[in-house]
Formats: sequence, C-alpha cells, structure tokens
Amino acid sequence: MNEIKTEASYKIFKCLFRADLAVQWRNRRASLISLFVPVIILISWKSVVIAMGGAFALSSAITIGLVAVGLMGYANNMARDREKGIFERLRVTPASTTIIMTSRIAVQILQMAAMNILVFIVAYFIDNITLSAGGYILSFIISLFCGAVFLSMGQAIVGLISSSATVNSVSRFVYIGLVLIGAFGELGVLGGLLKNIILWSPYGSVKILLLTSMIPSDWGSESWIALIVTILYIIIFTMIGIKWFKWKTN
Amino acid sequence: MENPILQVKDINVFYDTQHAVDNVSFQIVQGEIFGLLGPNGAGKTSTLSVIEGLLKPTSGTVEVMGHNIHENPSQAKANIGVQLQSTSFQPELTINEIIMLYGGLYGVEIKKSKINELLKEIGITEKASKRFGQLSGGQQQRVSLLIATIHNPELVLLDEPTTGLDPQSRRHLWDRMELLKKNNHSILLTTHSMEEAEAVCDRIAIIDDGKILTINTPEKLIEEYKDDPRVVKVSRGSRVTLEDVFIGLTGREIRN
Repeated sequence: MNEIKTEASYKIFKCLFRADLAVQWRNRRASLISLFVPVIILISWKSVVIAMGGAFALSSAITIGLVAVGLMGYANNMARDREKGIFERLRVTPASTTIIMTSRIAVQILQMAAMNILVFIVAYFIDNITLSAGGYILSFIISLFCGAVFLSMGQAIVGLISSSATVNSVSRFVYIGLVLIGAFGELGVLGGLLKNIILWSPYGSVKILLLTSMIPSDWGSESWIALIVTILYIIIFTMIGIKWFKWKTN
Repeated sequence: MENPILQVKDINVFYDTQHAVDNVSFQIVQGEIFGLLGPNGAGKTSTLSVIEGLLKPTSGTVEVMGHNIHENPSQAKANIGVQLQSTSFQPELTINEIIMLYGGLYGVEIKKSKINELLKEIGITEKASKRFGQLSGGQQQRVSLLIATIHNPELVLLDEPTTGLDPQSRRHLWDRMELLKKNNHSILLTTHSMEEAEAVCDRIAIIDDGKILTINTPEKLIEEYKDDPRVVKVSRGSRVTLEDVFIGLTGREIRN
C-alpha cells in the first residue's frame, strides 16, 4: 500500500510551484505586458513626476501593475485551466485544493514582486526617483499585501463567471475601468464626487497605502482608514470568490 | 468477497431533485478489471466522480484499500491512478515535466533515465521534450495512462479511455490493461464499447437511471438474460450478445 507521509505537503507544493512557474514562463508574453505597462506609464509620466512628486507617480505605476497581475494574470489563468480540466486532473492526486491554490497565488505574488522591483529600478534610472531605505522596504511589503486585493478581485470574477472567454472580457473591462477612472479620477478631472468615490475604491485605497508607505513619515489617519478598507475589500472579494468558485465549468 | 481494493457502499447523489446515483454498491478485488457500463446520463460519471473524491455523495461511503476517500483523501488517492475522459495536462509543459510533476505529487522521485525507460515502454521516447498538446490522440492517451500508473497504484480508474482511438491504439491500450491486471492492479473501466467490455472485463455492472441493474461476468450476463423478452426483442442476430443485453436492460431510446 502507498502511504503518503504528512511532510509530503511541502514536496507537493514544490512540484506544483515549479510546474506553475514553467507555465508562467512559457506564457511570458502576457506576463511581460503586466510588467511593462507600469514601466511605460512611469516613463511617460515625467510631467506628473515633476508636478505631483516621485512617490505619487511610483505608487500609481505599482498600483496599475498590481491590478494587471491580479486581474489579467491570475483570473485568466484560473479560468483557462478550469475550463481545460487541469484542476480536475490535479484534484484526483493527493494534492489538496489548498496547496493547488497556494501554488497559483505564490506565482502571482512572485510576479508582483518582480514588477515592483522593476518599477523601482526604472524610477531610479529614468526619473531619478529615490526613496528612503524604510520607504523601499515598507512600500515593497505593502505592495505585496495590496496585491491581495486584486488577486481576490480576480478570484471573485472566476467565482462568479464560469466561461473563460467571459472572464477574459470582464477582467479586461474591470482593469481598464479601474486604471482609467482611477488615474484620471484621483486628479479631479472627472469631478469632486467621483474623486471621493475613487479615493476609497480598491484602486484608491491601495494607492493611498502605497503612497504613504513610500514616505513613512506621512503615514497618518487616512493611511489607517485605507488599510482597514483594503482589508475589508480582501475579505469581501475572497468570500465571494471562494463561495461561488467551482473547480469545473460544467 | 475478501479484502476488496475498492468498496463502494450505498452511495446516493442528488443534483437538486434529480437522483443521479441511487444506492450504488459494488466491490473490486485485487487483479480484477471491472466495467461500469451505462448509456449517457446513467450515472457513470457521477459514480466515478464520487470514487475519485471529486464529488461528495449525499450518503454512502467509498473506501480504497480501507481508506475512506472523503475522510482520508490523501491516503485513499495515493492508492488510485486516474485517467480522466478528457486528457487534461498543462499544455505548456513538456512530457518530461508532466511526468516529473505527477511523479512528485505522488512522492515518486523519477530520474531522467527512468523517464526515458517509461517513454520507451509506451513507444514515444523521442517525444520527451515535446509539449503534451503536440502529441497525437493515441500518444496523449498513452501518456495519460502512464501518468495514471506512475505511482504503481492498487486501483486504476479509466474513464472511457479508448474513445476516439484508432484500432491499433485501442489494442495497445487493452494490452496495457492486461499487463496491469497481470501485475495485480485492479481496474475500474467505464466504456461505451461492448466489444471492449467483453474483451477485457472480468465483471461488468450495467447502470441506468442512477441504479445498478445487474453485475456479473460478461458470459454469465449473456447466459442470465438471453431469454429475457426485453433482450430477445432487441437482439439482431441468432446469438445474443452483450450489446443485446445492455440495450435490452437500458432501452432503445437515444440518450443525451
């Protein structure tokens, strides 16, 4: 009789993570888009850097990158693999659904970390944006935490929608909506009311957290409220995503 | 029946008000090839999904080597190898990587030389670095069966494994099944092919409307039902076949 030892969970995770990384690497065209969009924004926003400050531009670019990875990357990968029956095949092995999911999320977090570092490097060399050591460390940690908002949004989308084509369309629509309305709305271009709504939207609250974590001395009551709002978004979207998520489409 | 490898006991599955699996019970012993036959929508896939641990039954139990599939899934699944109806591996991974991944999931360490040996056995040594999606249907099925048995499981579940295969590939798969049986593996096979069921199965269960109608060896099923009016009515030749028994018991109407 084959006995699976309990410590094998780590080994199972390692195997899945290695395979998920290989899949991500071979689909690198999609991954590169989510890496380069924030970089291109940063390069083309020289006037914003001058007018609003380096931290403002940096936090906007990272927020947009996080939205891209969470919505476009995670949601679409999950929907596609579910439709192809890849999850069904994995679930008949001793790998638990928690490990399967953790591996998927770990790959996306790694991508978010890579995007973050790339944005920091480009910001330094192209726009001469520098942060304090504390600012770099805190904003890096906060950005990974904030990535959970968009990963949970992606999870909610694949939970509520079964067709991978529809998930693709909806995630693109939400991505463009969040980025365009968020970026222009926070500048007040779309009016005062929308500016306030955007301020506490997933985009806005993440943006506040990132911005204030880059200049830790600016961390204040607004940052704490943004943190609470962000946690609430994570909880709500995760609950929706888990409650309605199905491992197979039919 | 002593020490069954698989014990399915009184399982019931409801989808809303539809009773998809109705008190299904059967056992499979070591070295046995057991066929589960039924028309579309008869409850085969639901029964198989419960055995695979993908679907929790409303009531009843499934034990693999004494491990309850829902209470102790890791131990139970470690003793099962599954070939799903649609082969479903990550299309971006190479055959090498798929073997390494699934070997790892079962705690089997596979060296490169072993992979070559395994691929040689199924006649696709040169395809090791090809992606799964680049293989032909027959080659994909062979890889799929290889993965299903990579951890040397006691029980192998094959869900319509020969659908869409050419006669050569089908014969090859039958030979693999016979080899597994010879090595004391047990197989649960679902199929629409009566020829296949007769050729490889030791015992057959016919299922319809979620209920098991009968279980026996192919020969005894024919013997038992050859004079049944439902079977005689649908028989097309002078000799009653397994297909006549199947259609006689499950009806002639086309299912969706």
